[in-house]
Amino acid sequence: MESGGREASTWREGRSGMIDSYERVTGRVPFATNVEVQGMLHAVLLRSQIAHGRITRIDVSRAKEVPGVHTILTGADIVVRGAFKARFGPVFRDQPILAIDKVRFVGEPVVAVAAEDRDIAVTALALIDVEYEELPAVFTPEEAMANGAPILHEERPELGATFADILINRSGDPNTCNTFKVRRGDIESGFAQSDHIFEDVFTSPSVQHVPLETHCCIASVERSRIVITTGTQIPYMVRGQIAEIFGLPASAVQVIAPPLGGAYGSKCYPSIEPIAAALSYFSGRPVRLQNARDEEFVTITKHGVKIYMKTGVRSDGRILARKVLALFNTGAYADIGPRLIKNGGYGTNGPVSIPHVWIDSHAVYTNVTPAGAFRGYGISQAAWAYDSQIDMIAHRLEMDPYELRMKNLLVDGEPFCTGELMHDVHFRELLTTARDRIGWDWSAAPERVGQKVRAKGMSCIIKSTVTPSTSTASVKLNDDGSLHILTSSIELGQGVHTLLVNLASDQLQIPVGRISVARVDTDVTPYDQQTSSSRSSWSMGHALTAAISDVKEQLLSRAAELSDEEASQLEIRNGHVSVIGAPEQGLSYQEVVRRTRAGNIVGRGFSQTQGGLDPESGQGVASVHWHQAAGAAEVEVDLETGHVKVVKYHAGVYAGRVVNQVHGELQTEGNLAMGLGQALWEELLYDNGQLQNGSLADYMIASFDDMPDEVDLNILESGRPDAELHGIGETSLPAVMPAIANAVFRATGVRITDLPLTAEKVLRGLKALEAEGGAKNGDLTTPDGASTDGQKHVVGSVT
Amino acid sequence: MLAPRFLRPESSDEAVELLRSFEGAAKVVAGSTAMTIMLRQGLIEPDALIYVGGLPGLREIHEEDSRLRVGALCTHREVELSAEVRAVLPILAYTFGTVANVRVRNAATVGGVVAEADYASDPPAVLLGLGADVITTSPSGERRRPLLSFYRSFYETELDFDELIVAIDVPIPPSGTYAVYEKYVSRASEDRPCVGVFASAQFYGGLFHNVRIAIGAASETPQHVPAIDRAGDESDLRASVIGEIAEAYAEQTDTLDDMRGSSWYRKEMIRVWVRRALERVREDAYASPSPSRSSSIPDEMPRRDQ
Ligand SMILES: Cc1cc2nc3c(=O)[nH]c(=O)nc-3n(C[C@H](O)[C@H](O)[C@H](O)COP(=O)(O)OP(=O)(O)OC[C@H]3O[C@@H](n4cnc5c(N)ncnc54)[C@H](O)[C@@H]3O)c2cc1C
Repeated sequence: MESGGREASTWREGRSGMIDSYERVTGRVPFATNVEVQGMLHAVLLRSQIAHGRITRIDVSRAKEVPGVHTILTGADIVVRGAFKARFGPVFRDQPILAIDKVRFVGEPVVAVAAEDRDIAVTALALIDVEYEELPAVFTPEEAMANGAPILHEERPELGATFADILINRSGDPNTCNTFKVRRGDIESGFAQSDHIFEDVFTSPSVQHVPLETHCCIASVERSRIVITTGTQIPYMVRGQIAEIFGLPASAVQVIAPPLGGAYGSKCYPSIEPIAAALSYFSGRPVRLQNARDEEFVTITKHGVKIYMKTGVRSDGRILARKVLALFNTGAYADIGPRLIKNGGYGTNGPVSIPHVWIDSHAVYTNVTPAGAFRGYGISQAAWAYDSQIDMIAHRLEMDPYELRMKNLLVDGEPFCTGELMHDVHFRELLTTARDRIGWDWSAAPERVGQKVRAKGMSCIIKSTVTPSTSTASVKLNDDGSLHILTSSIELGQGVHTLLVNLASDQLQIPVGRISVARVDTDVTPYDQQTSSSRSSWSMGHALTAAISDVKEQLLSRAAELSDEEASQLEIRNGHVSVIGAPEQGLSYQEVVRRTRAGNIVGRGFSQTQGGLDPESGQGVASVHWHQAAGAAEVEVDLETGHVKVVKYHAGVYAGRVVNQVHGELQTEGNLAMGLGQALWEELLYDNGQLQNGSLADYMIASFDDMPDEVDLNILESGRPDAELHGIGETSLPAVMPAIANAVFRATGVRITDLPLTAEKVLRGLKALEAEGGAKNGDLTTPDGASTDGQKHVVGSVT
Repeated sequence: MLAPRFLRPESSDEAVELLRSFEGAAKVVAGSTAMTIMLRQGLIEPDALIYVGGLPGLREIHEEDSRLRVGALCTHREVELSAEVRAVLPILAYTFGTVANVRVRNAATVGGVVAEADYASDPPAVLLGLGADVITTSPSGERRRPLLSFYRSFYETELDFDELIVAIDVPIPPSGTYAVYEKYVSRASEDRPCVGVFASAQFYGGLFHNVRIAIGAASETPQHVPAIDRAGDESDLRASVIGEIAEAYAEQTDTLDDMRGSSWYRKEMIRVWVRRALERVREDAYASPSPSRSSSIPDEMPRRDQ
């Protein structure tokens, strides 16, 4: 946050990069994975190898004999011998710490072993026998919602009290754990007024976050006190859940949250922490548990989603009506799915103004790995559908897809489908810059060189940020004039601590070298709702600013005690307290604190937003402001192999105000790398519930060589000095996949509606086009079910 | 799971004696890039690992009698950068340079990639196309086998449990030979190949001779079918000839299905990449009809050098 005006800003000298860059490049960041606690045991988990079944027998007797094995635990042990709750989950307490009676997905933890070292634990694990009676299983929402489908949770899971604003709408379907609805305008009359109606189906597969650091925690449970060090994005969430499980006051649970080696949403909600805590409870020793890479793949994923989208359009291209059915595959346990489908639901409206909207968004239990938060939080899947579809509609109406988007994009003052009025809207600016920077020309034919063809595509997306939301921060101004920041925002590599330090430095006009960020620790650092939803710069930034204002006020009144002036005659200037108009006679902070014997000056800050939606109509306030992005890709497709190479990419994102240009660019480039992988290869492949590619040899993420030769960024500012910060941690990601698919369509005539755009899928599409006699309009379906443009589409007027 | 014993013999003789004494329960380990993964995934549970990485005499590269001998312990990176290899068999340097990333290439050895017999590797197909022999030692003495009969099936070779690869021995193609390797990666750029195609031919008198193709990563073992290649001999490698060869490899290869592509897709890719490889051989030959060295240097070395 730029502040401090045009003063000689000496306090800014020597600022560069991350505040802990030295620690980062010399391997000194205290990630959870590096933490050792005296006397700790090492735990490993025996996981279910079947997708759905009743546990008929568990025999741990041979494992117990292995020297060095300390504790072996099953779900039944917890139920019978543990004086604590056996289930947890952020919304529904539906997830057993260890499987109880039943397993519901391949990879579900069934038995936990804690031993003196990991090798011993692994040896013992191999000696455990588990027998199951297999049950029929369901793997997709459609299977799960079918009549007579096996039921995953026979008893309705308990709804927790974690979220004051949770909307729960349980239909009659036993496997649907929540439904979110939007009802705006009159959908039928909207379609009646439309000249064309388009119905298409889009699917996004489930994918994994692949953080470099896998989940890791160390738990120490004593009679009336629990200490957990864990790699988490939300330490207060872990604290609340652990306190609830063990029936302890929150004050008896201490969660220490070190910096993370990447998370991308995977470390929002508890997963392995309750297991480590249960082992510690029974063993009386601290217990360390860390996922191996293959376990990371069965811990949490991004939702696989199928979206049916019906859109009514006037002949001039104006969108009049949209009806959506979104089926989110939330896996065997709800995790945050019941909340995420809200964002993924209204998200399908897209950045366009539509008078008549009807959306049903379901979170459905199936027998696969639980799905939860993932960078983009439901919006990637929604954007994949609506931005692909608007491109398809442009093609069918023979309109320039840029013009069609421009005609429909939301502008300031227009209502979103939730009824709230848009403000600070920059879609047109973003899209127009994207068009110019990629060199878009609708009339130009794709460029062909030999067997390769190049073309361009674009996209434009809207994303909310969690609302309502709360952040608090404290600062301590020490008696030497240095500052401590106490925040529970987590440093996950995005640079939030650096941002907060720079902010404090600017506001108090002291160098960054005199500011420290305390280790995040729920015993010490005050509440923050979450480090996710691209909210920290904004929300924690506000809380910190408030805390510093509090310090400044106290400084002024303390300084007044030392002078003849009233506090109102004093000001903070150049890192000193001085009489207004006489800056040369200032008192340093150190002098003020020492001479008044204040010890230190503690400031407190609070920031909160209001909002919420009506459960039946989805009307209300979904987001305090809107995150906005545009993308434009130029691709080169090999017509003989179907291989897609993204040669150029432009990412445009609205930041309101840029607080750190380099970090803003890095976040946006990171989004591109992640989006590239999801566009082209990423997909968790299951065969009867068995994950086929749960390793980094089989599961492909982008490497540096895959990045486009040319990356062009537009981190857009409003130009107003008081503009609100808009988070950019996720915003540019959902735009990547449709921009690439739209470019591939223009290059080849092949429209792929099911991610990812594998080379083979593109080649099959090309072959099918060939068979149907040329790429005239590209509307066809590929043989093996890889759907292409027009699969379900009905063009014509509805009467 | 008991950790295997880790043994460090001081000579090849001692290594193979150790192998014999464990009667198949011991495994050789060199760069360990593949071994670590197999152990971690519990695919094998040897009683002992015989570490050969430091053995003397197995890390040399030398040229003799128109053959290039590459010691089994040479790393991929060493082959890639070797001035000697680049001079006489640039295609080999190029191929080893396409493997994985520089971190893997700095550890992975020539003996390791040949012995591992992973169908999705690059060097085996090229070595097969070049007509390389595998030289081994065991308590029963030294042996030489053509690579053509070395691979049995998935991860299975002719190696006996007490046999150690000491070198590969590659004939240097006669002058006027043009060779290319096309590594087709269908997913992220650090992936293993979906299909790898080696092609070479000698060009003189306006015609191509001694055409050799080898296909890797498409089937259980690398494929080289001299009967198909013969269609190119004494020809000008015109489109119809190339098409015929490409078609025959596509038809005859028993392609497999994996995440890099279905069996159908691999057949398509064989058709495309055999054709492209032979087209490049033809273009290279026409572009510089009398190369100073025996095989052409690929247009560019792989990008992932640094
Ligand atoms: C991330 C990654 C990416 C990869 N990508 C590619 C790729 O793109 N292309 C490609 O071709 N390969 C690729 N590989 C495979 C890699 O080339 C092999 O792992 C490597 O060549 C094996 O060599 P090593 O020395 O590490 O063998 P080790 O792991 O030490 O051993 C491998 C096997 O060979 C046996 N062995 C080793 N040396 C000898 C010997 N002298 N005599 C007899 N048996 C022996 C061992 O017993 C073992 O069975 C990749 C590997 C990794 C880890």
